[in-house]
Amino acid sequence: MKKVMLLTIFAALMMISSAAVAQTTASGTLTVTATVTGSINLVFNSDASGVALSSGAGTNAATLAFGNVSAFGPISAGIVRSTTATTFTVSSAVDVLVSKTNSASANYTLQAQLGSADAVNTWTVGGVAVTNAAQSTLTATGTYAANSNFPVAITVPFTTASGTLISNTINYVATAN
Amino acid sequence: MLKKYISIMRGAALAALLMCGASLPAQTTASGVINGSLNNTSGIAIQFDSDPAGVTLGAAGTNAATANFGTVSAFGPLAAGVTRPSVTATNFTVRTIFDVQVTSGGLTSTSYTLTANLAAATPSGMSYKVDAITLTTALQTIQVNGSYNTDIAHNLDLVILTAAPGAGGPAVNTPITTTINFTATAN
Repeated sequence: MKKVMLLTIFAALMMISSAAVAQTTASGTLTVTATVTGSINLVFNSDASGVALSSGAGTNAATLAFGNVSAFGPISAGIVRSTTATTFTVSSAVDVLVSKTNSASANYTLQAQLGSADAVNTWTVGGVAVTNAAQSTLTATGTYAANSNFPVAITVPFTTASGTLISNTINYVATAN
Repeated sequence: MLKKYISIMRGAALAALLMCGASLPAQTTASGVINGSLNNTSGIAIQFDSDPAGVTLGAAGTNAATANFGTVSAFGPLAAGVTRPSVTATNFTVRTIFDVQVTSGGLTSTSYTLTANLAAATPSGMSYKVDAITLTTALQTIQVNGSYNTDIAHNLDLVILTAAPGAGGPAVNTPITTTINFTATAN
């Protein structure tokens, strides 16, 4: 009789214990969904052989300041100058870095266009003339994840008055091939 | 005249008695007792709520909610409530915030432990973190001292490899769905 009582008490305790454990947890599910798409990114970097970008290095909105330039006077480090009978050209190396993610694209096309017209000076990027009329293709086989030097050059006529500020914006567009 | 009146009264009394006799059997009642009992057991419940800083959850307020990051990429635009805390050469992270609320009743417990695990192995190129804890199919402890009856915000991070599909990266342009199981246990 005593054994039966003990067994009964034990069984009751077990039931109470298991019930208590079962009732002190709660569960839920959070279903997470995302759609990954490929993307590419373009940034400008200072080239070791060119003028250091005065701002925005490592971003997609940088500033290249040549400073004071002239046909025959002193010129800042990093600027390459050439002259003709009527013009002089100053050029600086500028690196363009295009990165890709989640894409099987093998290379990219890089195009550039001036932000506003310049009827006096001639602009080239990577040796390709750029205007504001249309995009110019700088390369159709750009290599991802590598700094590629596309020198920015401005050809200035000798007729330009001293002290003239020359400024423009070059818009670059990289497109995954 | 008086005799006639008495006779009528007797008749009426007899009729009334008979009526009473007839109606009494109809009012025979059966009574019973219901012993109502309520076993007031203690317990806790969990629910997911949208966080003001995160995406709006589907089925918010329940224990089976959905969180849709929408379209994500390393450099492209993101949906409202989704941020991109980091982009490296090998991966990028997108984050949203969701709330967990655990309610308790009849417990002396003052806090709970929150654990989580993935319902299935992670899809290729993806990993999932809750509060910086990388989830696997095994239970991971997210929080050990959760407070009851209040929304507690948690970061949900998707760490996505930048590699191309087939080269270790995730599938692209198709929804990738994963279920995270959460369990709250009273301390």
